[in-house]
Amino acid sequence: MHMYTMLPFFTIALGVASIAAAYYVVKIKDLVYASVMLDVLASIIASMLALIGYGIVAAFQVLIYVGAAVMFIIITISMIGARGKETKEPFLGFITGTFLSIAIIIIVMGGGLFKLYARPGYVSPSQAAAGLLSHYFPVIVLIIIAQAATIVEAISISKRGEKK
Amino acid sequence: MMALDTLTGAVVMVVSSVIMGIGAYGVASSRSLFRQVLSIEVIFNGLLLLVLSLLSFNAIAATYFGILIISSVAAEIIVVVAIIVAYLRSTGSLSSDELEEERA
Repeated sequence: MHMYTMLPFFTIALGVASIAAAYYVVKIKDLVYASVMLDVLASIIASMLALIGYGIVAAFQVLIYVGAAVMFIIITISMIGARGKETKEPFLGFITGTFLSIAIIIIVMGGGLFKLYARPGYVSPSQAAAGLLSHYFPVIVLIIIAQAATIVEAISISKRGEKK
Repeated sequence: MMALDTLTGAVVMVVSSVIMGIGAYGVASSRSLFRQVLSIEVIFNGLLLLVLSLLSFNAIAATYFGILIISSVAAEIIVVVAIIVAYLRSTGSLSSDELEEERA
């Protein structure tokens, strides 16, 4: 069987795995393990993105999001030891989550938005880099400035809080 | 071949909707600030999948949008975690209920 005809089956398998990972992020009591499951979820989402044709975005997701941002959360939670008693309101959460899911599914299915999907064409790294540097150069400069400002902001905010 | 693409699109969009619903469940049900941040990140992952599959008719634009979205979210996480750490050092608590009480 050709790999392309197996695409929906791979997508379904990864989809089930990502739903299970998302459930564990919300349900696992220990926040460190919940963050690790968020890392797993982001990795599965990256593999789904690669599977449907966005290889470069998947690489970015793994490098920046999984490798830096979520690891930052894991290290922070491990260092401050945020393990306290956690109050929950499962009924309110169930109503909210179900409503949001059903609303999006109705919009996607009712509006026929899933028919928009066609396997995207291959975008090579050099093509993406050339487009980014020619069309989106001011945006890249703004992002670099924003990232630098974010680091300074995060350090100053963290230093500001002192226990009374 | 077109039906295959449609099926894949439907599967991706349903999966992303369910992931966003699970994230919304986590935000609404928990009172821990860190758990709420993790749940918001779950919503972000579902949203990224949904947006990129909706933009699949223009692969290059979708790639640029994906890169920009991931960069913005990575910066946002750092600031939010820094705010939570500052709040924890200031009050010794991680509950969003106490945040509301302090504001009142």
